[in-house]
Amino acid sequence: MGIFAILALSLSLEYGFTGLGNFGKVAFFLIGAYTYALSVETGLAFYFCLLFAGFLASLGGFLVSLPALRLREDYLAIVTLSFGEVLRIIVKAEHGLTQGVWGITVPNAFAGFSSTPRLLLGANFILVFLVLLLCFLFLQLTVNTPYGRVLRGIREDDLAVEALGKSKLKYKAQVFMLGSFMAGLSGGLFAQYMRFIDPYMFLPNVTFLVWIMVILGGPANIKGALLGSFLVELLNRGTRIAKDYLILPIDPNNLQYVLFGLMVILILLYRPQGILKETPVKTKAGDKIKELLGSESEKQEELGVRS
Amino acid sequence: MVDLSQVFLNSLVTGSLYLLAGTGLTLTYGLSRFPNFAYAEFITLGGFIGYVLVEQKNVPFLLAFLVAFIVAGLIGALAYGLIFQPLTKRKASLIHLMVASIGLGYFLRYSIGEIWGWSALSFTVSWPLYDVNTVRITGLWLWLIFTAIILGLALHACLIGTKVGKAIRGIATNPELALVSGVNVERVIFFTWFIGAGLAAAAGIFRGADARLTPMLGWDILLPIFAASVLGGIGNFYGLIIAAYILGLAENFGVVFLTAVGLSTEYRMAIAFLVLIMVLIIKPQGLGKK
Repeated sequence: MGIFAILALSLSLEYGFTGLGNFGKVAFFLIGAYTYALSVETGLAFYFCLLFAGFLASLGGFLVSLPALRLREDYLAIVTLSFGEVLRIIVKAEHGLTQGVWGITVPNAFAGFSSTPRLLLGANFILVFLVLLLCFLFLQLTVNTPYGRVLRGIREDDLAVEALGKSKLKYKAQVFMLGSFMAGLSGGLFAQYMRFIDPYMFLPNVTFLVWIMVILGGPANIKGALLGSFLVELLNRGTRIAKDYLILPIDPNNLQYVLFGLMVILILLYRPQGILKETPVKTKAGDKIKELLGSESEKQEELGVRS
Repeated sequence: MVDLSQVFLNSLVTGSLYLLAGTGLTLTYGLSRFPNFAYAEFITLGGFIGYVLVEQKNVPFLLAFLVAFIVAGLIGALAYGLIFQPLTKRKASLIHLMVASIGLGYFLRYSIGEIWGWSALSFTVSWPLYDVNTVRITGLWLWLIFTAIILGLALHACLIGTKVGKAIRGIATNPELALVSGVNVERVIFFTWFIGAGLAAAAGIFRGADARLTPMLGWDILLPIFAASVLGGIGNFYGLIIAAYILGLAENFGVVFLTAVGLSTEYRMAIAFLVLIMVLIIKPQGLGKK
């Protein structure tokens, strides 16, 4: 769950705050996972491999975003979507490097101090939530800085931002790299957690799930992204359990995606702000503005009283 | 040794398929101004409707074709009326529209998967084979090329000569002007979605009859279709005609090249992606526009 939450956070940064439609989240997830799997095999320490996974993914993000960022959002969507597809094909076809559809078994990073499966699970758990926490804090900080305000400015009106002398292209590319870095991290964690990866784990469904999480929880709300990922994961697990215990007339896996598809449409139709609508993005900047406005109006009131 | 004329013929076939499948996409994209990712599922749906009618109900191929066209067309129009029109009216952002279309795509795809299963089906109809010198061609391919030509001519006549066609072109270039000129914009868009989804279904039947039929059928050819639409200039039918065949050529010659170099032919899809990236870098407005 934490792994997907990191993905949701990264999409929240890209889409929720900056307004970039990345429909190829899975591609960067994949880069991260395979980079991690392959670099761990060389015997490097796992945290180094994780960082490396993030870096390569962000490099990928940079390269992909370049041709499409100048254009309208729909081009970016098409390019990222196709990038995910093509990357999966490459991974499938390059048997020498990735062992194609056979997949890679990832060695255990915590072999030293966790011998039992339970301990291993615990170690994974701690690692994932540590990274999640770091990403969360990082995002929380980022969106509250002037930098974050520029990003939101780009989302709302990029022309105005340009007019203020900020290069929207630069910012967009940076955000794309940041988001991809986080996706890469989560890919690495995914590989470590699953201990085995193959191309069929990286279908566009991953991207779609992350989008639902973000849209459901509230795009421009970091907590919303977390909430969304929790809810979607709950549903996901729920249907998996239902598969074992309930006899449904239809296959729960199909049902799940049918429902997800319907859900997205309904949310977009009736509540495009997501669940966490009432708690709009609280920023220190916003608070300050409110404070300033408050004191301003107080002053005015004082003035009014005086005059 | 590769038979050059066979490669050209294959390109012609692939191109015709992309033209048939891409027409609806580019027209609705031009009018509604967002890429409809659920378009892939219209294609798949057509394939499955065709399969059910031809294989299980023993309906003649042509009739199955018509039924698939109408059913998918109605679903397309319905999708627009129930989802995309309200969204547009609520001033949904471009990204929201795209996400909604992906959601619709998943809804349709997994419904199809539920009804017909995920294992691949194939048409059992056997087509007559013709051997012209060294070139092999099936009856199905002839039909496909024939349909593409008919479509090209018919749509050209429609766009130039009829009121609807003129309205479509008008809305694509300037919706406000079309509206004040007394064009019933909504009705024209509905009509276009109907035709578009219907054509997608037709392409789906051809694709399904030529290869295997799975719920992923449409999704698998969505990428080259998008590449063709972008290359042709979005909303530009004439650009699409050229672009579809360019893509057909690129793909088939690319496959020849790939086998010659010793790479996997799985990279077939990557060729479309390459074309897409090149177009975006060099000429994002596509071929068609001056």
